Amino acid sequence: MSRDDAIVLESAAKHFGTHIALHPTDLVIPRGEAVLLVGANGAGKSTLLRLMAGLCRPSEGRVRINGRDPQRTPGVRAEIGLLSHQTLLYDELTARENLRFFAQLYGLDNPDKRIAAALTAVDLNERRDQRVGSFSRGMKQRLAIARAILHCPSILLLDEPFTGLDASASATLHRLLQRFRQEGRTYILVAHRLDEADGLVDRLLVIKRGKWCIDQALTNDLDQLRRLCSPYLEADPCAF
Amino acid sequence: MRFLGRALAILHKDLQAEWRTKAHLSPMVFFILLMLLVFNFSFDLGGAALYEIGPGTLWSSYVFASLLSLGRSFADERENDALDALLLAPGDRGSIYLGKMLGNFIFLLAVELLSLPFFALFFNLSLSFFLLSLLAVFVLGSACMASVGTLFAALSNNMRLRERLLPLLLLPMILPALISCVEATGLVLANDCCEKLFPHLQVLGVYAIVFTVLSLMLFEYAIEE
Repeated sequence: MSRDDAIVLESAAKHFGTHIALHPTDLVIPRGEAVLLVGANGAGKSTLLRLMAGLCRPSEGRVRINGRDPQRTPGVRAEIGLLSHQTLLYDELTARENLRFFAQLYGLDNPDKRIAAALTAVDLNERRDQRVGSFSRGMKQRLAIARAILHCPSILLLDEPFTGLDASASATLHRLLQRFRQEGRTYILVAHRLDEADGLVDRLLVIKRGKWCIDQALTNDLDQLRRLCSPYLEADPCAF
Repeated sequence: MRFLGRALAILHKDLQAEWRTKAHLSPMVFFILLMLLVFNFSFDLGGAALYEIGPGTLWSSYVFASLLSLGRSFADERENDALDALLLAPGDRGSIYLGKMLGNFIFLLAVELLSLPFFALFFNLSLSFFLLSLLAVFVLGSACMASVGTLFAALSNNMRLRERLLPLLLLPMILPALISCVEATGLVLANDCCEKLFPHLQVLGVYAIVFTVLSLMLFEYAIEE
């Protein structure tokens, strides 16, 4: 493990009772690397992201984020931004109230400035005082993106971030991820449609039934991506 | 300071959401009023019987009503997986417990205070004399229920039978505090406050402090998947 590694998994495994969601896994993701994580439904992608985010403990092995265990060193969680399947938002609160709440949780300085910047980044500034419950799926997803980046994390874990976004919002997210890449932030992107990841990633990880199948550096070639991933993108009936 | 700031942020968020939805207070108030009405018609609570049965009636209503609110305190967070956002935040996760516990404490106390005039009305009581003593019992009783209840609500949140599990876990654990609440309320209603009341208040105070501290230590494990 080097000091330049953002995420390190050392024989990390996760079991739920007798079901093995993730087999003992070794993984090193250096700082600034953009990774595409691919796998069929139930392959273990979300479990992997939850382990990295410190939302659950590994049943075996260790997880290190910027050299520290997110379970034992709670402060390291401030360096992680997670975009999950669900929005992680409160429907009863407005967009601005939601972000203000998360700014308070993270103890952020200049919360109003950050909130305005995050809302502008996802093009929701005009809807800032509307309740989230009245938002469409796409708007909720955009606000969820704003929540995930509000505290400027150095590591972003993005579980199907393009879900529910229209073409314009997808283009905005694409630009946002390109900016993160230029800024040298680390991110793991889970995507089913490979064109969404085109030009955004340096490395491909393919997982099947909780085990790595492919771990390969990528050129920005969409055909190469499609060729590598297509056998692993169909739903795996044995995974459930 | 950050710990307290996070707890207060969670409390503020819960109060803000409650102000808009009334999801906790409405069912609790409705349930308590219904219970008091039924007890009013079931028992003849004149004279000495009021002091023997009245406090038990009142507190059994509060305990069962509290289950409605405590059960929801983490169920609300399950919507949109918002609990994950709380768990992702940096710092000690005990602040989540403290914020939620304070919210539950305020909801319980508010409902107790709201229902008190109806209790007085149904059972022909004049509240003016013993309002302060009764307020002390309510504050400490609510703190006891909120301290244990919030922990068990978090614990049962990850389980399949969560709605049935919460009362099974909570009711036996809350019993010592409940007995003190009933005894203390009986003494207040009988206007026999001074010397006999204090030991009960002490028991409630110690119970609330011990279980709050224990829960703060155990919460991290209770909330895990």
